[in-house]
Order: sequence, then C-alpha cells, then structure tokens
Amino acid sequence: MFRAKTKDLRRTMSRRGLLLAGGSALLTSFLGARLFQLQVAQNNRYQRLSDRNQFDVRIVAPTRGRLFDRKMRLLAGNAESFELYVTPLYVDDLQQTLAALGQIIELTERDIKAVLLAARKGPSFRDIIVRNDLSQRELARLAVRSPLFGGVSFGKSLRRIYPQGALACHITGYVSPVTAREIERNQSLEKTPYLGTGKVGVEFAHEIYLRGLPGRERIEVNAKGQSIRVLRDVDAISGKDLQLSIDVGVQLQAAEILRRGQLAPVELGSLQVQRALAKDSDLQAHIALGDNLILQDAKDRLVPPESGAVVVMDIHSGEVISLVSAPMFDPNLFTGTLLTRDWRRLNSHPRTPLLNRATSGQYAPGSTFKMVVGLAAIEAGVISKNTQFNCSGDMELGNATFHCWRKGGHGMMNIISALEQSCDVFIYKVALKTGIRKIKDMAHRLGLGDLTGIDLPGEKQGIIPSHEWKLASQGRVWTPGETVVSSIGQGYVLATPVQLAVMTARIANGKQAVTPRLVKSSGDAAPDFAPLDVDPYALAIIREGMFEVMNGGLGTARNYDLDKSLGGMAGKTGTVQVKRITKAQREEGIVNNIDRPWAERDHALFVAYAPVERPRYAISVVVEHGGSGSSTAAPVARDILTQLMQKQG
Amino acid sequence: MTVFKILLRIPWHLLLLAGILALVGSLALYSASQGSWQPWAGRHAVRAIVGMALVVCIAFIDFSFIKRMSYVFLAAAILVLLAVMVVGTGLGVSRWISIGGMNFQPSEPAKLSVILALARYFSSQPHDRMRSFVWYLPAFAIIAVPFAMIVKQPDLGTALMLLFGGLVVVFSAGLPWRYVFGSLAAVLAAVPLLWLQLKVYQKARVMTFLNPETDVLGAGYQITQSKIALGSGGFFGKGFLMGSQSQLNYLPEKQTDFVFTMIGEEFGFAGNIFILLIYLLITIAILRISFRVNSRFAQLTCIGIGMMVFLYMFVNVAMVTGLLPVVGAPLPLISYGGTSMLTVFIGFGIVASAIVHDRRQS
Repeated sequence: MFRAKTKDLRRTMSRRGLLLAGGSALLTSFLGARLFQLQVAQNNRYQRLSDRNQFDVRIVAPTRGRLFDRKMRLLAGNAESFELYVTPLYVDDLQQTLAALGQIIELTERDIKAVLLAARKGPSFRDIIVRNDLSQRELARLAVRSPLFGGVSFGKSLRRIYPQGALACHITGYVSPVTAREIERNQSLEKTPYLGTGKVGVEFAHEIYLRGLPGRERIEVNAKGQSIRVLRDVDAISGKDLQLSIDVGVQLQAAEILRRGQLAPVELGSLQVQRALAKDSDLQAHIALGDNLILQDAKDRLVPPESGAVVVMDIHSGEVISLVSAPMFDPNLFTGTLLTRDWRRLNSHPRTPLLNRATSGQYAPGSTFKMVVGLAAIEAGVISKNTQFNCSGDMELGNATFHCWRKGGHGMMNIISALEQSCDVFIYKVALKTGIRKIKDMAHRLGLGDLTGIDLPGEKQGIIPSHEWKLASQGRVWTPGETVVSSIGQGYVLATPVQLAVMTARIANGKQAVTPRLVKSSGDAAPDFAPLDVDPYALAIIREGMFEVMNGGLGTARNYDLDKSLGGMAGKTGTVQVKRITKAQREEGIVNNIDRPWAERDHALFVAYAPVERPRYAISVVVEHGGSGSSTAAPVARDILTQLMQKQG
Repeated sequence: MTVFKILLRIPWHLLLLAGILALVGSLALYSASQGSWQPWAGRHAVRAIVGMALVVCIAFIDFSFIKRMSYVFLAAAILVLLAVMVVGTGLGVSRWISIGGMNFQPSEPAKLSVILALARYFSSQPHDRMRSFVWYLPAFAIIAVPFAMIVKQPDLGTALMLLFGGLVVVFSAGLPWRYVFGSLAAVLAAVPLLWLQLKVYQKARVMTFLNPETDVLGAGYQITQSKIALGSGGFFGKGFLMGSQSQLNYLPEKQTDFVFTMIGEEFGFAGNIFILLIYLLITIAILRISFRVNSRFAQLTCIGIGMMVFLYMFVNVAMVTGLLPVVGAPLPLISYGGTSMLTVFIGFGIVASAIVHDRRQS
C-alpha cells in the first residue's frame, strides 16, 4: 500500500518535473520570439534610434560659387570669417559668461537672449553661436583673455564679400542668412547652419547653381554628450563659379558718368558743403549711405549725384556689358548681421537705393517710343520714307489740342526729319492713321511690354496700352486722343531701361529678337534668338532717322555725337514730363525745368547704338528728373560709349 | 567509493555548459570595459574557475550530510539576513554584508537553503498526509520568513526569485492542483497589499515598465536604451567591442543586469539565442538528473536548483527585453557579481553530489 503510494508520488513528481521542463522550453521560445521581434523584425527602427543616440548629425554648409566679370575680375567671393561659440556643458554660469563677453566684444541684448534660449532648448553639449563676423580687434582681445572663459571657442566659416562694394550691387544682389519664410518653403535649408541664400540679383537668380550641396558629418557623442570623433559622411559640394558678361571697368565708368551727369563736383570739406549738409535732409540721407560724392548744379545748388539707370548690351549676343542703377548700396552690409540702423537708412532713403531701376524702374519712354510708331506705320504702308505732314505746333482732335514740344512747329516733316527733330505733331498724325493696335504689336516685337527675361529677379514688364488693356484695367473704351498721347511715349506707356536697351539692340541688329543676359556665354557659339520679323526696309529708314538725330543740322542730339573716329552713333532723345503742364501754365510761359522742385522735373532719356556702320552696342540712359534728353542723357550715353569703344579700339 | 568513481559520476556536461556561459560572461565584461580585463572580466574568469573547482569539491561531500544539514543552512541563512538588517551596506538599502573587504549578498545563498529545507521537509512526509493543506503550511513558512526579510532589505527581485523558486519545489512535491490554483488566486489578491509595501523607486520601476516611453530620460531610460541596444544589434550584431550603445555608456548596468543586452548589441539575435539555448540545456540536464536520482530529497533539490537557474535567466531576459519590470535580477554565470555566481556553482555542486552519491547509480 505504502509502496504503491510512494510509486504514485514518484510518478506525480516526475510528471511535474516534465511539466516544468516543458514549461521552461515554452518560456525560452517565448523569449526567443521577443528577441526576434526586437532584433530582427524591428531592427531598422532601433538602428535609427541607436544612430540618433550615438551621433549628433551636423550639416556642413557648401562653399558658394564665386561671381566674376567678363575679364575674370572678382564680383562676389568668400572670405574667412570668425565666430564665437559657447558650449553650455562647460560653462558654470552662462549668463555671467555672456555678460563678461559683452565687456570685450559687441553683444546686443538680443544676441544674449538668443543664446540663452538656444541653451535651454538644445542639448548642453551642442555649441551655440554667440557672435559672428568678429573683427580682427575683437578676435585679438578675446584670444588674450581666452583662458578666463571655459567653454568658449572660435569657429571659422566663409562669409560672402563683394570686393567691388556698391558698384555691381544691382547685378550681383546679395547673400544673407536664410529667412523664416525661405525655410517654410524649403525645410532642408533650416538644417544647414550659417547658410546664406541669394536674396536679389544674380545671387538669387542663379541660387541653386551657386549654392552647391551641403555635406553631412556625424559627431559621435557618448551618453554624457562628449564628442568622441567626427565622421564625414558626405562631403559638401561647392557651388559653381559663374562668369558674368559685365565689364567692371565699363561698369565703373558708366556709374561715374551717370552719377555726375551735367553736375560739377565740389570739395566735400568746404564750409559751404558742411552748411548745406546740416540743413538738407536729402544730402544727409545720401551721405549716410557711405557715399561722399556731392555735386553742384547749374544754379550752384549742392545736390546728391544723379539717380537713374544705364544699360549697355551687345546687340548680337545680348550680353549685358554694364547695368547701373543709381543710387547704389553696399551689398556687404547684408552678408553678416544687417544692422537695424543700416536697414532703416536704406529703406527711408528718398531715392530708394534698393530698387534696381534698370529692370524694375518703369518710365514713360517719351520720344524714344517714336521709333516704334514709325516702324509700325512704314510696315503697315501708312507712310513711306517721303510721306510728309505739316507741323504747325499743335494738332486739334475733337475739342482737344495736342501740342508739339516746339511752340512754332516744325513745318513740313517726313519720318526722318520727324525723328531728327523729334517732331510730335508728325508722329501724332501718323499714329492716328496707323492705329494703336499696330503700334502695340510693333512695341511687343521690339521687346516692350513683356519681360525681357534678363536673369535678375523682380523685373517689371512695363505697359503697352491697347483697347483691350484699357477695357480690362479701367473698364472704359480707348479714345483716339489716347493713341496720340501714347505715340510720343507718354500717358499709359511705361518701359524699363533694360527694355529700351533691348528695343534699340533689336533695331540695330535688324535680324534677331535679341534678349539680354548677364551670364557670359561659354565659347563663341552665337545664342539662338528668334527672328525679329520686322520689315528691313522700315528698319533702315528708322536707323537713318536715328543717325540724323546725331548728325542732322537740327538733330536734337547733334552736339553729343560719339567721335567719328570711334564710329559715331545713332540715337534718340526723350524728355518725359513728370508733372502735367496746365493750360494756365502754358499761357503764362512754362517754368524752366531747373527752377522746379527736383521731383517735378522732367526725366531725361536717351537710347543709342554704336558704331553706326556694323553696330555692336546698344545703350539706354535714364536720368531721373535730369531735364532734357538731349542735354543731360545724350552726353552720358556718349561718354560711356566713348570709354567702351576706346577700350575696344 | 573511490575518487575515480566519484570523478566518473560527476555531471561534466553540466560543468562544460556552465564554463561556456562563464566564458561568454568574461568576453562580455571585457567588452563592457572597452576592451580591458580590468576591472571585471579578469576577476569574473578567475571566479568561474574557482567556482567550477568548488563544484567538484562539493561533489565529494556525501549527499546525506547535505540533507542532514539542510535545516541548519536555513537557520544560518536567516541569521545572516538578520545581521544584514543591522550592519548591511548599500545606498539607502541594506543588501550586502562585508566580510574581510569582500561584499557578500546573503539573499543569494538564502535561496539555496530554502530549496534544501523544502526538499528535506517534503521528503520526510508520508505521502498520504500530502493531500491536506495543513501539511503545506510549514513549507510556506520556510519560504515566507526569508522572503519577508529580503523584501525588507529591500530587494524585491531576489525576494520574488526566492518565492518562485520555493513554490516550484512545493509544486514538484505534488501540491494538489486545487491548491495550485487557490494559491494563484491568493497571490493575485495580495498584489494590492504588496503594492503598499513598495518603496517609491520600486513603484516607479513598475509604472515605468507599464509605460516606458513616458519617461525616456528618467526611470524609463534603462529599458528604453536596453531595447535600442538590443534592437540595433540586428541578426548578427554590431561585432565584438563595436556596440555603440554599450561602448558609449548609453546602456546602464551593462556589467550586471544588462549584460544580456550588451551581448545582444554586439552579437545580435544569433548570440542571444545561443545563450538562451545553453540555459535551456542546463535546465533540462539538471531536470534529467532529478529523474535519475532515487531519493525524493535529491529529486526535489535538483528540480529546485535547475528551476532556480532557469527562473533567474528568464526574469533577467524578460526584464531587459521589456517584458517584465526592472527588478534587478542578474544573468547567472554571465553577470558580474561574486555572490550570485558562487550560489549557482554551489547549487551545481549540490546537484553533482546528489547524482554522485545516489544509491541507484551504484
């Protein structure tokens, strides 16, 4: 009995032992399954987490491509710049350290706040930038005291520099730190530290080409956040250099000649100048930009340099040789931390130096538009070379009277003498016979009213009005009177200086619809432009008229021709009313341009191509409120072309 | 019995398996100190060799002597646990006792003595009595006293291991199924009471276990980093000495409780499965011995010791893989720690003695 029971018990125990063995095997396979889940099934996820633990990934900013002029002179480059960093991990009292640093270098309240915020947000081992663009003096002062500051270190990076200063500011544009709005559009920008992006100019237009691709390095950090080593995963790919068609030499002379205009230089240090500076807010704003050129006008008044624009381009390749917009600004101001003071000065300046007048300034083209009317009329068969109309000084249309600029009238005119003397009434009559539709069509073919496509952002397209345009924009029908006003490039008509240069280049070229470009073409392959599709016979007549402007006995610019040894030039003047002349004023006798306030004076325009035989260059000049197109703008064009042609010779 | 016969009967395969684990442990500890025998790996290897020698020595001790002394061992263990309460060292806890400069953790051998005492108790009971619950009460007392003392230290992990180890012996002794399920119900009912007894950090550990992602840098840090290390190891691991989590100190306690994680990071799923299989082989080898020995005392002792080693491994691996809360259980023979290794080897020695001196074998 007892034995039987013992045997029974043994069996029970053995059974339970087996149960435990089975249970062990089951639990072990359970663990195995769990390990499979973690190590095999979810391996990728944990691999990523482990990498994030192990590495602090840092994006390395690429070196930005440089900009050169057509003769490989540097327009935009990169210079070494030093930054100050602080590593919160190694600093006992961050606030105190920053305060002490503030005694040695310039630190704003905002800088300090930004550092403290970054220290609170990020891991303590990550370096935080305290100041960039340390000056040599600040660097030296810090270096001497560096043993006193634990956790403070220097970094070296590249900063954009524009060695030509303000000279090419509207061409190159500038690079400045990435903005919040750019990051909104392109998240990847945020991760690249101290990256600058082009904001305007070629820097903006060719941003992707110039920027290059950021590299990536991983800093292996341990659990305490100390870095163990740096692994370079992806090398940064530098941006590519870009050669522009600009000639810095021509650019420099064009800027000087435009700014000087017909004004005379004065001694800046003289008592008279100092006195004027104290009173005149325009002069003060001008001086505050760091420009110390002050001039004297015909009435001995002290004035800042002329503002306006010059565009010089090659009529065959479309390459822009010079593009000036005055006043200018120093793009170097933007590359580091733009000071509020400088920003305010640039923005509150009465003559808007940040505006690129050459591409974004829209001006009534005035009499330079007469070529468009003439071409449209000849092509349409409305007039021929010898078709004559009488100019009596004014023209009646309905119950309105339209005046010629010359009070007594020009007498019998044909298209050539009308261009030579810039007769308004002849053009009025021709325009009425041709109709606005054909004029508009010709204007577009010559590049007006459309973007020229120059590689600069913010280009304006101007206005070439028509029936449809007026209906759409004002809801009213077109009147013949408006055709009359438009025919002399006033009223609604607007064009940019670069459009006027393109128009002139196409008239001179005759075969191709040249478009402007700022990038130097590689090799000699001529760019492939669309055919111009304008009657060559009509073009020849118009070119003859432009020749007479310089050479005719009564040519409006006869005194300002380019020296015949340089090939001479053919051009057209334009003087644009900014303020309407009332009937009362006309009867009283018009107040002389120079006696009006600056902002009410006429704009002076001039377009030309040179040399006359086998033309090469086209130029457009706008001198804002400069007075007459012949006496102010024409000499500017002549002087610039003289310099350019002499260089060629 | 001749020395030769004894040597022949010693379960050498068990020693071989233990040696493999100790070797794996040494390599892991070598890696844990960034490729150095100092401070852990060298000592671990020496201790393992001493431990294996100890197994052979204990095998020579007559098993009936061990049986006679089993209650004495229990009394001694309880006395030492008492002593720890008075003179124990440790950070805010009293787990260790210093003997001649060596730290000794008495809760470890206490587990062995509980297994021996239980085996002795059940082996002396006639079978017909074992149907009544009353006769199980002394057995529960044998478990409860040291359990309560270790909980007070406080070392919940070790205490629970002792509890489960003891319960396995009671279960193997033939506790009727109705009591098995009855006790399970009682344990579940006791959970709220136990909860009140827990220290703040122990509660935090349990809460963290239930929801580790809530506190990644705090209490959940260990388990989160452990899972990252294991998971990033992949199938074959990052390679010896190449585990970034361990080498860069993201992994806490990598030389003790989280050594399995480190092996997983450097040797991957394959390495971990290899270790699990060794443990399973050890457990089955000891259970196999329990089937072969004649006496109930020997049988119960072997089952208890075999399951103790298995439970240790299970709790440790379940803990580092996030299946159980972090309770602080070492991985036997691999984790650095003298007392735990010593306990395991003494246990293996007792198993060896049981089979060497078994009547049926001769």
